[in-house]
Amino acid sequence: MIRLASTARAALAAALLTAFAFVLIGPLANLALWSVAERWYTPYKLPVSYGTRYWEQVFRPSGDAMASLGTSVWIAVLTVIVALALSIPAGYALARLKLPMRSLFMVMFLLPQAFPSVAIYINVARTFYQLGINGTVFAVVLVHAAHGLVYSVWIAAAAFAAVDKDLELAARNIGASPMRTFATVTLPLAMPGIIASGIFVFLESLDEFTGTFFVGVPQVITLPLLLYNAAMGGNYQVASITALILLVPSVLFMLFIERFLRADVLAKVGA
Amino acid sequence: MLSQRQLALVLIAPGLFLVAALFLYPLVFSLISAFTRPDGSFTLEWFAKAYELYSGDIVFTIVIVLASCVLTAVAAIVIAGTLTLGENPWIVGTLKALYRWPLFIPFIVAAQCMRTFLAKNGLMNNTFVSLGLMEPLSAISFLDWRGIIATFVWKQTPFVALLLAGALASIDRATLEAGRNLGASRARVMLELALPQVMPTLLVALVLSFVTMLSVLSVPMMVAGSQPTMLTVDMAFRINAYGDYATANALGVITYLISAGAAIIYLKRGMNQEATS
Amino acid sequence: MRILTIACSIAALMAASPLSAQTLNVATAGDQNMVDYVKDYLGPMFEKSHPGVKVVSVGTGPGDSGSQKIYEKLDAQKAGNATDFDVVVIHQKAAGTMVKEGLLAKYTDKVDTSKMVSSESAKNSLGSDVSGFVIPMFQSQTALAYNADLLKTPPNTFAELKDWAAKNPKQFGYNGIKGGMSGVAFVTGWVYAFGGDSDKLIKGPYDPAVKASWDKALGELKDFNKNVIITPGNAGTLDMLNRGEIAIGPVWVDMFYSWQADGKLPPNMKLKLAAPGMPGQPMYYAVPEKTANRKLAEEFIALATSPQVQADGIVKKFNWYPGIDAKNLEGKLDQAAWNKLFTDITPADLSSKGKSFPIAPYFNDILESYEKKVAN
Repeated sequence: MIRLASTARAALAAALLTAFAFVLIGPLANLALWSVAERWYTPYKLPVSYGTRYWEQVFRPSGDAMASLGTSVWIAVLTVIVALALSIPAGYALARLKLPMRSLFMVMFLLPQAFPSVAIYINVARTFYQLGINGTVFAVVLVHAAHGLVYSVWIAAAAFAAVDKDLELAARNIGASPMRTFATVTLPLAMPGIIASGIFVFLESLDEFTGTFFVGVPQVITLPLLLYNAAMGGNYQVASITALILLVPSVLFMLFIERFLRADVLAKVGA
Repeated sequence: MLSQRQLALVLIAPGLFLVAALFLYPLVFSLISAFTRPDGSFTLEWFAKAYELYSGDIVFTIVIVLASCVLTAVAAIVIAGTLTLGENPWIVGTLKALYRWPLFIPFIVAAQCMRTFLAKNGLMNNTFVSLGLMEPLSAISFLDWRGIIATFVWKQTPFVALLLAGALASIDRATLEAGRNLGASRARVMLELALPQVMPTLLVALVLSFVTMLSVLSVPMMVAGSQPTMLTVDMAFRINAYGDYATANALGVITYLISAGAAIIYLKRGMNQEATS
Repeated sequence: MRILTIACSIAALMAASPLSAQTLNVATAGDQNMVDYVKDYLGPMFEKSHPGVKVVSVGTGPGDSGSQKIYEKLDAQKAGNATDFDVVVIHQKAAGTMVKEGLLAKYTDKVDTSKMVSSESAKNSLGSDVSGFVIPMFQSQTALAYNADLLKTPPNTFAELKDWAAKNPKQFGYNGIKGGMSGVAFVTGWVYAFGGDSDKLIKGPYDPAVKASWDKALGELKDFNKNVIITPGNAGTLDMLNRGEIAIGPVWVDMFYSWQADGKLPPNMKLKLAAPGMPGQPMYYAVPEKTANRKLAEEFIALATSPQVQADGIVKKFNWYPGIDAKNLEGKLDQAAWNKLFTDITPADLSSKGKSFPIAPYFNDILESYEKKVAN
């Protein structure tokens, strides 16, 4: 009887997992199919003919896809560094220190995500032109960092808030300085959350289009510029391929960071 | 020696400066444009116009985003809960390998995937028909509000689930084990023991999702027809069709108030908890 | 320490010198294929005849929003000495605005090919005088695309279409007015058909009272909308035609041919220009007032609008209607390529039913009346 029930449970779980996989993989399979579809139209349910014509088009010598990908990744990495450098102190202050008008500060970091961006970026571009930094990687990184900062600050604040205060007190009691306590106890414990925030900053930067256009183009050209055109115009093949290319650095970044997490940080969590 | 307050301000200042320079300062121009006539005098007429033309879309936007948040939260709790409390390593492993993928797909690509996936003769319905689960004639298109919600949930669930699973991994396992040993079901352990401890993380993730969804243009533009539609589409339309930045900025202010509302509700809650604890 | 490293890398980035060779930046408001056209076809050709020059092609997204981005970028640079873009490819609405605000240079007298353009649209862009500022890259047209398997006899007029849609609910689809210009063109065609004197809307002068006379037409459009599908965008209409979810819908002719060439439309799709007609518009080549490479920009446009390039690039490669007058292409093109342009829509159709968009104030009135009376 118990056996039957557990078999039924396993079957149910497997069915749910299959349904979940379909919901998740279906749209992605669609993407993969389009990337190799040369002809696909009604009444056919699958592509009429397959081929690599569009892959060749994206990777043609004059296409600049790989160069733009390099620029995109470089910008995304710098953005993560800038955002984390700003958000670790800010997150700590928001989570642990007495701050007047704390909510107001929190909402302020949320602003760049919340307000529709085009009107803002025109004015940012205007300022940057005056400063003479428009069209540099630096300018693009600043804009991306301001945009991604909400992820890193909010998540870092949450991560610091979750760190057990008793552990910090214990470290202080055995004579560690505040700085040392922060570096050896608080920061490592908050690290998983902070690293997760880094992933989101990275992804945000990698996908960003509008800001890059206003402060980077034509000197700085990233992959989403290509993606945006192709996707808005309904050029499914090129857009799918570009999206698949963008997937590579995102997944690598994630894997890299996870390895780092496991080896280093999680070990300390238990210790 | 700095007081704690001063130290806090010093620590937060660099980040704040970046936001102020790249955001607040340009935002002032948008606010001015939303509240003034071309001659510079104060007016609310752009808000009146925004309300007259887009009141329906304002409600539509709020409903879509709230519904998406609720569904995202449910899906994320199920996923993160299974990852934390699941006992079948095979299921946990598969789930872990799968659930994150939409995270890496930009919104604009997600929108495009969904447009061809959820359509009446799209890949989803075609699969169902081929498997015999559905009659061809009963196929319907989901390219309307349902498509927008589906895309948002699909894209945002991994984000919320990732944060939630991270938070769940760091809470004390002993309480959860104890709950299990006392005979509570996994669902009960999750909802009554684990979830309250990670509520702040869930709320942070949801507020961020809420705000992100509110500002996405490509999904409502590409997944659903434009009547009714979300405010981002209306804003883009005001600018592209009429060069009317004033009304677009007024709509922007309305969007901002909606997201600030969500953020403040969350922060209020957080402060109340601090006060009671 | 960390801060220092960041500061160093930032300093290094800022010091990175700008491109040393001479660069011609071409910004295109259009689909990827238009951006690639400059990148792969015009660019290399121009680089060959101008050693040491590099052509950089950037896309700003299709439709009026793409043109608006170019406008916004130039506007942001108004205070500076030189603009980032040297040649821009833009739509009519933005061209009018940009000329009015002094962002474009008067250049066509320096470019000989401008004499090969006699069309009205090269002088007048939705009621704004743009003569001297623009040369058309190509001319585009909206039309109804239909699946000849599902629909043997397509409606000849808007009135027939109205009846047909009532009998065949959910078989006609268009993208409203917020999803792109093909839907806007359909609504404009509707107003031309049922709203009175279309010539007055196209030629002006503007009379704010006229919009009241569209009430009946827009009321009928609201009823019509109950029987149709509102598609997500220009591409959304083509998408639904691709999957056979709708049988007929308004599209841009240039997009239609691109999609067909990409294998995204059934081979039996055809085009129909229903009476009294639907609007079309050109894409313009223009030069920003403050470009640092004015001479190069002019030479680039001269090349792009030369008869041979128009014949090979615009007509043969993409099936687009040429920007310069067709008679200049004689002898540059084989008859088959020329005929393919007019398979479904004959030159006679095009001259009688290919309309312009209305002048800007009427245009805005149509859109806003639609928002008030049809959509809301």
